[in-house]
Amino acid sequence: MQHLDPDRLVLLALSEEPEEPADTGHLAGCAACRNELDALRTVSDLAADGHDLRDLPPPPERVWQRIEAEIAAPPAPVVPLRPRRSRPRWLAPVLAAAAAAVVAVAGTVAVDRYVSRPPAETVTARATLAPLPTVPAAAGGSVRVLSDGEMRIDVRNLPLTTGFHEVWLIDPDDLTKMIAIGNLPDRPDAVLPVPAGIDMNRYRLVDVSDEPHDGDATHSGRSLLRGTLTG
Amino acid sequence: MGSEDELAERLRDGDEKALRTAYERHGPAVHYLAQRLLGNRADAEDVTQLTFVAAWSGRDSFDPQRGTMLAWLLGIARRKAIDRIRAAARDDRVAETVRAQVAPPEEPERPERIVDRLVVADELGRLPAEQRRTLELAFFDDLTHPQIAAVTGLPLGTVKSHIRRGLANLRRRWEVDGAASGSRSAGPSRAL
Repeated sequence: MQHLDPDRLVLLALSEEPEEPADTGHLAGCAACRNELDALRTVSDLAADGHDLRDLPPPPERVWQRIEAEIAAPPAPVVPLRPRRSRPRWLAPVLAAAAAAVVAVAGTVAVDRYVSRPPAETVTARATLAPLPTVPAAAGGSVRVLSDGEMRIDVRNLPLTTGFHEVWLIDPDDLTKMIAIGNLPDRPDAVLPVPAGIDMNRYRLVDVSDEPHDGDATHSGRSLLRGTLTG
Repeated sequence: MGSEDELAERLRDGDEKALRTAYERHGPAVHYLAQRLLGNRADAEDVTQLTFVAAWSGRDSFDPQRGTMLAWLLGIARRKAIDRIRAAARDDRVAETVRAQVAPPEEPERPERIVDRLVVADELGRLPAEQRRTLELAFFDDLTHPQIAAVTGLPLGTVKSHIRRGLANLRRRWEVDGAASGSRSAGPSRAL
């Protein structure tokens, strides 16, 4: 069987010439030419609808700055021990970026380890996270601190943020004393390392906050969930 | 596509400058996809950021044999955007205010089709100049082969072969990289 000429298929695909009865007759009986024409038509349509895609504008430069900050952190798992507010202000953006990336790495490692490990673990403390009054009532979560120093945190229905969600341990007797534990990834469960040497009897209030990407590592003041750890 | 192979190699070796190059080359397309899918600036910027950070941490999973870097990045961006849309839908359900029903918007373009358009447009931009020019006149200005020959001064036969070969190139790229084959070309990067 004589297939349709490749140039003829192109003209048909571009609708430059109408289908003649001879074309239609051949196409009805020839799956190969039919498929060829379909593919060429689809690609032509996609290309013709790509007019607005020439010279797309670059994203704002701040996007790259945030990417750079996230990937620039050293790989060593150094999690700050001291409450952040005692740090000089100028250090905050640097450390925030470092901590975010470290926590991201550490979090991944922790999850990987968790996945491949049998679920026999000792829970040393747990807390139920309840929404603050400004937060939709369906939001909530739970926290378990394990004997190996990991914190497993499950959250649900957190309000969307244009920034990120950060987990803190706060001294309920002096609310200015707090320790940043790490950022929550985009999924309902996370494993975060609790820095060694923290007095969990003192820093027993778990707080999940909404933090903007503003380079300020201190608590934004916008708490979403809170709960008290009990043994 | 030698420069792309080299870029992929530098990226896998952990060269941060390679990520910057990839961002300059493909950031606009990733950002466009995120904007089209999410419809607001802040979320689109977040997803663009998440995409390149995920690409960096998952750079070992990029396999040039399975598709181009653009397709890989768009695959990541599409998943990040869809995750965010799902999270937003969850929040909407618990929102206390009942939003006024607005007139249903036009049927939104499917994410797969936006990816396909971006991939085909990228390939069009890579074609040899004359081939690209004839195709652009056919696609964007709706000119016929004889009209293109008249505008460009090329012989009709040359116009024909430019268009036939150019279209074949676009088609090949679309088959390798298109979202229809996204699950195949994205391969191991799906976990990102």
